[in-house]
Amino acid sequence: MNTNKPTGYNNRLGLKGWAYGGRYGFERYLYLGHRLSGLGLVAYMVLHIIETANRIRGEQAWAGLMALFASAPFKVIEYLLFAAAVFHAFNGVRLMITELGFFLGKPKEPVYPYSTSVMRHRPLTYIIMVLAGLIILLGGSSLFFK
Amino acid sequence: MAQKNSTPRDITFRVRRFDPDSDTAPSWEEYRLNVTEGMTVLEALHELKAQQAPTLAWRSSCRMGVCGSCGMFINNLPQLACQTQVLHLGTDVVTVAPLPNYPNVKDLVPNLEPLIEKHAAIKPFIIHPKPQEMEEPTGEFLQTSEEREAFSQFTYCIKCGLCLAACPTVATDPLFLGPQALAQAYRYTVDNRDCGLQERLEAIDAFHGPYQCHLAGACSQACPKGVDPALGIQLLKRTLVLDSIGFGRKTSSVAKVSPLADVVKAIEEFAPPPRTVNQ
Amino acid sequence: MRETRLWSLHLLAIPIIAVLLGMHFAVMHYAPVFYGMSVEEARSFEVMIERGRSVAQLVLYILLLAAGLYHGLYGVRGILRELPLTPALAKTVDIGILLFGLFIFALGTYVTWWTFSYRIGG
Repeated sequence: MNTNKPTGYNNRLGLKGWAYGGRYGFERYLYLGHRLSGLGLVAYMVLHIIETANRIRGEQAWAGLMALFASAPFKVIEYLLFAAAVFHAFNGVRLMITELGFFLGKPKEPVYPYSTSVMRHRPLTYIIMVLAGLIILLGGSSLFFK
Repeated sequence: MAQKNSTPRDITFRVRRFDPDSDTAPSWEEYRLNVTEGMTVLEALHELKAQQAPTLAWRSSCRMGVCGSCGMFINNLPQLACQTQVLHLGTDVVTVAPLPNYPNVKDLVPNLEPLIEKHAAIKPFIIHPKPQEMEEPTGEFLQTSEEREAFSQFTYCIKCGLCLAACPTVATDPLFLGPQALAQAYRYTVDNRDCGLQERLEAIDAFHGPYQCHLAGACSQACPKGVDPALGIQLLKRTLVLDSIGFGRKTSSVAKVSPLADVVKAIEEFAPPPRTVNQ
Repeated sequence: MRETRLWSLHLLAIPIIAVLLGMHFAVMHYAPVFYGMSVEEARSFEVMIERGRSVAQLVLYILLLAAGLYHGLYGVRGILRELPLTPALAKTVDIGILLFGLFIFALGTYVTWWTFSYRIGG
């Protein structure tokens, strides 16, 4: 395929196109949020596996590590991680359902004004985002207000 | 939010210019035009070319939203210039740029070769168990209206390319097939006259196929004909997953050919409606 | 069928992670509710070793490790491969991520096994 040989000025949006490509609906920003939260979670997961491996250095090393993670900056990071995980999980459930073609409606003759599968599953998207938001707020309340 | 003000008035057009013979990078030019109710962006471009910018280049043809030639990035959204009324945009400054994610040939002209090549890569034609039936038909393919409705929406594609301009994956991945090709791959795969999924697998069951779609939904938003390529892509994923676990379409369930004699008999037996024109 | 199978596993990992990570959260963050002990106590060395003794813990942790690593690294591979890469670089990304994933999985499995077989006092 000839797609690597552009004939003309390179007008590809590039990485900026992931963040903003035009006046599109908010599903495009959910895609961005899913990507960013996913990257953050992978980075955390790898660090977490390496960090918890410290137990093989013995009880004292472990206790020192736990004391470090109980400090304030880590509590904030923990909360942000929790928020990222909840958002990623809830949005992920929506993607799991819809990327297998469910909840999108059936193909039908397009009659103007057109309805799209994206608009049709928006109520589901709103419900999922509201639930995620509630859990993130509730999680924050138990972390910061005992 | 800008209000839709239909009063004829002067509108500023910020148009992206690029001349490959003299420019190394595009630049923006501003023009002012008095716009009347009903004037489309395409008509405005014709006026600008006639009065103020004689070298302005763009692609257009039918001026009625069926050929797909005049796709442009208008006020940060890919739209057909002939289907976009200037005053309905609701802004006093209208930006007109070439479609993003395609090489820019000159001014507002995109190089649509990537679109066409990706479309060709998914074999956009019926692949029937008896290929000679496609070339020398001996009868009619039987297809119920339900079987037709399963893919009919995706046949409305006019290959305008707005969907690839909107897609965030196309923004970085030159090899991604894109919403247009993937929706057409679904259109042919699910057509009951087609048994070509295995032949198309090399193109669509690869990394740059449907799994790099993450349902941002911008393609369906941009599509001017209501094709909803996002729906086609997700249904394609389902089709591929089912096929991978043994629930794909069997060749035996492909549409049968009804011999011509049977077709003629069916027509003769059908009572025609009463004449409405006197002979 | 290659890419379809890889993606199907990515999706299959989701409910596995949802359940097992939920259980992990219950232990790590809601110990007062589920185990009647403070969070600090639940994270202490003794309690961690005690918890790690069960076969169920061994199996479920390794399963969570596998599912989480596969799901996460498949996502990272997708993101990297969506950048304009040469075929050689694309192959390098695939192999590099696979090797990295196997290494971290080996590390995590070793630590989980170490916990399972640890005897306090030697």
